[in-house]
Amino acid sequence: MSDETIQSSNYEIPPEMQGTVSITSLDKVYAWSRKNSMWPMMFGLACCAIEMIVLAASRFDIARFGMEVMRPSPRQSDFLIVSGTVTKKMVPQIVRLYNQMPEPKYVVSMGACASGGGPFKEGYSVVSGIDKYIPVDVYIPGCPPTPQALLNGLIALTKKVDKERIKTSEWYAKGSEAAVPVPVLGPDLMDPRKYALIYEQTHRPIEPEIPAETEQKEG
Amino acid sequence: MTGKGFLSMLLGVFKRFVMTYVEDFRKGKKRYYTAEGIESRRKADVQGIFTIQYPEEKLPVPEEFRFLPFLVYEEGPNGEKDLRCTSCGICAKVCPPQCISIVRTNDPVTGKPVPQPKEFYIDVDICMNCGLCAEYCPFDAIKMDHDYELASYTRQGNIYDIERLSKPVSYYAGIRPTNYSAEEHARQEKEALKAAAKKPAATEGAG
Repeated sequence: MSDETIQSSNYEIPPEMQGTVSITSLDKVYAWSRKNSMWPMMFGLACCAIEMIVLAASRFDIARFGMEVMRPSPRQSDFLIVSGTVTKKMVPQIVRLYNQMPEPKYVVSMGACASGGGPFKEGYSVVSGIDKYIPVDVYIPGCPPTPQALLNGLIALTKKVDKERIKTSEWYAKGSEAAVPVPVLGPDLMDPRKYALIYEQTHRPIEPEIPAETEQKEG
Repeated sequence: MTGKGFLSMLLGVFKRFVMTYVEDFRKGKKRYYTAEGIESRRKADVQGIFTIQYPEEKLPVPEEFRFLPFLVYEEGPNGEKDLRCTSCGICAKVCPPQCISIVRTNDPVTGKPVPQPKEFYIDVDICMNCGLCAEYCPFDAIKMDHDYELASYTRQGNIYDIERLSKPVSYYAGIRPTNYSAEEHARQEKEALKAAAKKPAATEGAG
């Protein structure tokens, strides 16, 4: 490691100790280890789930990214893949499972239906976008996204995790975060008295533009 | 004996593990990150590992693979973009989930419509990749793309505007060479017919 990389942290080192003492930030190591062991929680709802299953099989193999196996329990997972059409009957369960996940927790909205309602956006039984009920970190368009498109989204999520720092990240801030209100199956779904809380919980600060993963495909 | 099936499964995994190294040794470096390597690992009788190492290498998509629509523009000699789209609105009408929205251009002086879209939005979180817009477009102006690496951090980032959707003809010819050459051929034939029909009329007028 060169001197520059050792001194790159923003701590003041007295001149007499220059070159003999190095202060590295634990943040980077912490974020690196965290991004390399993201365990997904499966939430297959419709046809997108088939593509998600392919992702876990040996052709694409998410274990290469430290995602290992799809966890069936919210207690053991780091992020939730909402894959498929979210019906009004399923929203309470998704939000409850999201609340049960340990922090830091992330949500990947896979496919058109989960992010914006897709072709069913005006359906009487369908929620037009899961982001109205839980905060979503990565949106993956496609109907359905191919396994490689989903992998691209998951890599984008790991990049986001890699950028998080203990000082600035909301997960390590003081004050316990309130749980997202669980919708109730009925005409409203959202309790009107909790609109402000739901809005606060589902709108994360906007992240910078997604880094370009690769060049334009050819041929 | 209990556990026999489990042991045979482990043996199968171990065999594949060993075969991976045997194949690596036999085929060398070209087994990974090359087009022929991917092709050889896609076969049914593949030995050893057949995982596609995604960010470094990609599974090639077939020509008729369709993901999201894009707008085709002709490149002018000075780099100007001439969209083929005339904002007729047929794609927006046939779109089953109604994800396309077009704003037409009006001439600022006369107020008459100009065949050019002012704004063109596709909400890709609603698009169902059916390809009907490309199928129905009479001007070959909207086509289905092959690019699938489109994850975004915001919902607003998934509403594509005219800038994001426009791609040159050369790109279209690159991803769909067969379709492109067929369309070009049909267009040239049509133009030849038109010219042939015009010629006798012109000579008659002169005579």
